Amino acid sequence: MPIIKLPYKYLETLTGTDRDTIIDRVPMIGADIERIEEDHIDVEFFPDRPDLFSTEGVARAMQGFLGLKSGINEYPVTPSGISFRVDPGLAEIRPFLGSAVIRNVSLTEEAIESLMGLQEALHWAVGRGRGKVAIGVHDLDTVTPPFYYQAAPRDRAFVPLDFEEEMNLEEILERHPKGMDYAHLVRDYAQFPLITDAKDNVLSFPPIINGELTKVTTATRNILLDCTGTDMKAVMTAVNNICTALADAGATIESVEIDGTPMPSLAPSIRTVSVDECRRLLGIPLTADEMVAHLQTMRFGAVAESEDVVTVTVPCYRSDIMHDWDIFEDVAISYGFENFDAALPESFTTGKPHPVMVMMDGVREILAGLGFLEMMPFTLTNERVLYTAMQREPNPGLLRLQRPISEEQTVMRTDILPMLVETLQINHHRELPQRLFAIGDCVEGTETFQKVAAVSIHTEADFSEIYACTDALMREMQIAYEIEESEDPAFIPGRRADIIVDGKKAGVFGEINPDVIRAFELDAPICAMEIDLRCVQARLCL
Amino acid sequence: MAELTYNEKRLMVVLNTIKEATPEVIAGELNTTAAAVVQFAHLCADKGIASLDRTITVSYSLTTEGEQYATLGLPERQVYASFQNEISMKEMQAHPLSRIAIGWMKKKGWVTIEKGLVKKTGDAPEGADEVALRDPDTNREGIPELVKRGLAEETETTTYRVAITETGKALVEAGIDLREEVGTLTREQILSGDWKDLNLRRYSVDKLPKRIIPGKVHPYQRLINEMRNVLLEMGFIEIYGDVVQSSFWNFDALFQPQDHPAREMQDTFYLDSTTPLPENWERVRDVHEHGGTTSSVGWGGTWVPAKAQTNVLRTHTTGLSIQYLKDHPDEPVKAFCIGRVYRREAIDPTHTPEFEQLEGIVMDKDVSFRHLMGFLKEFYGRMGFENVRFRPAYFPYTEPSVEPEVYVDGLGWVELGGAGIFREEVTDPWGVKYPVLAWGLGVSRVAMLKMGLRDLRQLYRSDVDWIRDTPMMQGGKD
Repeated sequence: MPIIKLPYKYLETLTGTDRDTIIDRVPMIGADIERIEEDHIDVEFFPDRPDLFSTEGVARAMQGFLGLKSGINEYPVTPSGISFRVDPGLAEIRPFLGSAVIRNVSLTEEAIESLMGLQEALHWAVGRGRGKVAIGVHDLDTVTPPFYYQAAPRDRAFVPLDFEEEMNLEEILERHPKGMDYAHLVRDYAQFPLITDAKDNVLSFPPIINGELTKVTTATRNILLDCTGTDMKAVMTAVNNICTALADAGATIESVEIDGTPMPSLAPSIRTVSVDECRRLLGIPLTADEMVAHLQTMRFGAVAESEDVVTVTVPCYRSDIMHDWDIFEDVAISYGFENFDAALPESFTTGKPHPVMVMMDGVREILAGLGFLEMMPFTLTNERVLYTAMQREPNPGLLRLQRPISEEQTVMRTDILPMLVETLQINHHRELPQRLFAIGDCVEGTETFQKVAAVSIHTEADFSEIYACTDALMREMQIAYEIEESEDPAFIPGRRADIIVDGKKAGVFGEINPDVIRAFELDAPICAMEIDLRCVQARLCL
Repeated sequence: MAELTYNEKRLMVVLNTIKEATPEVIAGELNTTAAAVVQFAHLCADKGIASLDRTITVSYSLTTEGEQYATLGLPERQVYASFQNEISMKEMQAHPLSRIAIGWMKKKGWVTIEKGLVKKTGDAPEGADEVALRDPDTNREGIPELVKRGLAEETETTTYRVAITETGKALVEAGIDLREEVGTLTREQILSGDWKDLNLRRYSVDKLPKRIIPGKVHPYQRLINEMRNVLLEMGFIEIYGDVVQSSFWNFDALFQPQDHPAREMQDTFYLDSTTPLPENWERVRDVHEHGGTTSSVGWGGTWVPAKAQTNVLRTHTTGLSIQYLKDHPDEPVKAFCIGRVYRREAIDPTHTPEFEQLEGIVMDKDVSFRHLMGFLKEFYGRMGFENVRFRPAYFPYTEPSVEPEVYVDGLGWVELGGAGIFREEVTDPWGVKYPVLAWGLGVSRVAMLKMGLRDLRQLYRSDVDWIRDTPMMQGGKD
C-alpha cells in the first residue's frame, strides 16, 4: 500500500490546524500511521483513494473531517489554447494521452516533494508500475506548443533527466537507471513513445523518463502535464488527482486540446441516492439533512431533494466512488464507527457442522484414544518426499504448481503418510516411542478429498501393532473391510496389507521398508497405515 | 519417622540382639548377602536407628613375577651372586637376567663399571625391597619400589561395622511387626478378606513414575474446533469446499478486476488446468464491464472469460461463501468456513505459503453494518477478546469495510481480521436480495495471540515435545 510523507509545516499551512490534531484524527479518515518523525509523519492510505496520496489531498479531507471546511471544492478550467496531436501509430503501443496546463504554481521544496510522492504513489496504485499509466510533469516555459505524442524510431536521441549527454532511446533502456527498471514495458515494440514540441525538442520518453530540458524546479511557474497509458479511465484518474492537488495549493488549471478534444474538465459527477437505502445498509437513524451534512463533511456536494432523495456531487478525484454504497461508507465514516450501536439481528437460525468435519473429528477422537498425537503437516510438498523416498510411483492425478516458491513445495499432496514420516525425521532427536497421526485434504486432479495416516516408531513397532490400530479405527468408523497382501513398495514384503472396502483398495498398512526408513534418515522400526476416507464418505452417504 | 520396610525391621531385630557386627555376620542371620545388609543398614542409618562405620584397609600381595623373585631373589641379586669379585661386561651379558640386573646393581652401588669390567664394591647388603619381597604385607618400607617395578600390587578392602543406636534400641523394644510384606494383592486375598491381615508394602508416594503422554488432538486443531463451536453455537452452518478453484470464483466473482495486483503470478499459485464457467457467468462479466443491473459503473474495459477459467489454489475461502450464497439465495443465511488457503509466500517465522482462514457470512432481510459490528463483538467476545473497536478499512469486495481491533493485555489494540458488507457487484449476479455481512481472520494470528506462538512453522512442522507439553485444557477462565 502507498505510504505518503506528510510534512507538518506544509500540512498546517494547507489545513489551518496544528500537528497534534492531525496526528490524532488522520487514522479516522481511513489510514494507518506508519512513523511519526520530527518534521513529518508517514501515513499509509488505502489503494482505492489516490486523492489521499498528496499532502494537498490529505489537507482537503482533513479540513472537512475537522469541520474547517465542508462541501465540494470548485475546480474551474479555462482553455489554454495549447494543443496535442497523437500519432495513430501508437494505437498498439501506448494509445492514451491525458494532459493539462497548470499555471501559477508556487513550488516550494515541500510542494515539489509532495508532487513527486503523488506521482510515485499514482504510478504504483493506478499505473500498476507505470504500465497502465505513466506521468510526466514539465516546465511549460522551456518548450513551444503545439506538442506531438508520437511513435519514434529507437535511435532518436535526447538528454534524459539527470544526465548531461544525449542518449538514444535504446541506450536509455540499457544505461539509464529508470530505463533499466522499466525497459520491459516497451522493449518488444519496434518504435517507442515520445513527446516532442513544435521545435522537435523532446519532453519525455514515456513511460520511461522525461527530458532534462523540461525539469521542474522551484523556479517553475507553469506546468505541462502528460499522462500516457493503456487505459483511458486510469489515465484520467491520474490527471484529475494531480490537477486538483495543485489547484488546492493555489494553481489555476487550463485545458489542452488533444486531437481536437479539450481536457481535463475536472467536472464532478452526479449521483442520486436513497436516504432509506443508506439508513438500512448502515443500520443508523438518519434524516436526509443529516446525510447531506455527513457528505459535505466528506467533501462531497450534497442537496436533499426530498425526505428520501439526496443528490450527491462527486468530485472528479474520487475514482473509488463506483456504486451508491461507496457513498454510504463515507456517511458511516463521518457518522463515526464508534457511534454505531452494535447489535445482533433477531432472526433464529440453527448451526450445523459440515459432515466432512464431523467425520474428521470422529477419526481424531478414535486415534487420540489409541494414543496417537495429531500433526498438521503442510499440504504442499515435493515429489522426492511424496514418491521417491517412499519408493512409490507418482500418482497420475498429481497437481503441480506452475511457479513454486521453493524446491521443497512444488506439488499438492496426494497422500499424507510421507508427510508424517517426514515429521518423524524432524523429530528424530525426540524420545521414542512416537505415535503420530494426521488427517486432512489431499488433491487428485482438481478433486479435494480426505485421507488419514498414522505412524508408530520404536524398537518394537511391528505389523500386529498397526493392524490392531487399523482394525480398531475401521470398527469404530463402522466400515467393514477385508485384507489382502499388499504390493506397496513403501512397506516390507510379507509384512504389508491392503485394506479392501466394497471390493476396492481403500488403504494400506504394515511395516515401513528399511530403505524408506533410511531415506528419511531414521533408524528405528516404523509401522504405519493410511486410509482414503472416500470409503467412509461413501458409507456414511456424506 | 518414616515407616520401616520389612528388611529394615529384620535387620533391627538382629542388631538389637548382637548390638554390633560385620555385614557378613548379619547376612548369615538374615539369610541374605552382605551387600544387601549394607543397603538396609544405610537406610536405617539415615533414619538414625543404626550406625554404619566404613573402614578402608590397604593390603599388598606379590604379582606372578614377584612370586618368582621371592623364591629366586631379585634379578640383580641373582646376577651378583653369579660371579666373584669382577667380571667382564661381555661375560656377564651371557647371564639371561643381565639386562635388568646391570642397572639395578649400579643404582644400588653394588658394582662399578670401568673399561668393560664390572667390579663388586662390597657385600651388597639386603635392601628394603628384598625384605618386602619376603612378606609384602608386613614389611611396608620397600613396597613402593616393588609396586613401581610391577612385582607387588595394592588391594583396597572396604569393611563395615553395623551397630544399633539408642534410638534403634528404643524402637525395637517398643515392638516391631515382623509379618512378611506383600507387594501385589491376589484375587483370593481380596475375596476372602485376608488382605486385611497382610503387611502391604508401603510405597514412597512422592516418587513420580515414568511419564506417559496421552494421545492428543493437535493444539492448533483444538483452537480451530473452539472457533467452530463458537460459530455453531451462534447458529452458523459450516461450509467445506475444494482447494482447487477457478479464477472465476476466487477473483472475478468477488469483483476483483482482471488486472488487480493480487491476481498476479507472484502472489497466487496458478495451476495448469481450467474449469468451465458456471451458468450465469455473463452477469459477472456485465458487472465488471459496466456494473450490470446495480448502481455501479463497473471497472470498464473488456472482461476476458479465458482469464476466469484458469485454476488456482484458493487464496481465500470467500469464493466458497459466494458459491454457498448462489446455492442458497433465500434469507436467512448464516454460514462459516475454516479452511486452508494458499499464497505464494516464502516460509519464515510469520509467513507460510498455506494457512487457515476463518470466514463468516450473514445474509438476512434487515441486517446492516451495525449488525456486522454486533456479530464481530459477539464472536471475539466468545473467543476471549472482550474489548473490540472498529476502524475504517479497505477491502476489494466489501463496502462499507471495517477493521476490528481487539485489546490484548501487554500488546494493546491489535488488528484482527477484516470485515464488511459484500459489494452489490459481488452478490447481485446471483440474485441475492439482501445485504451480506462478511468477516474473516487468519486463524494462525489468533493462535499467536492465544497460545503465545512466535513461529508459525511450529504449527505445521511441529516438535513432538511441544505437543506433548501443551496441556489439552487451556486458559481456565474461559
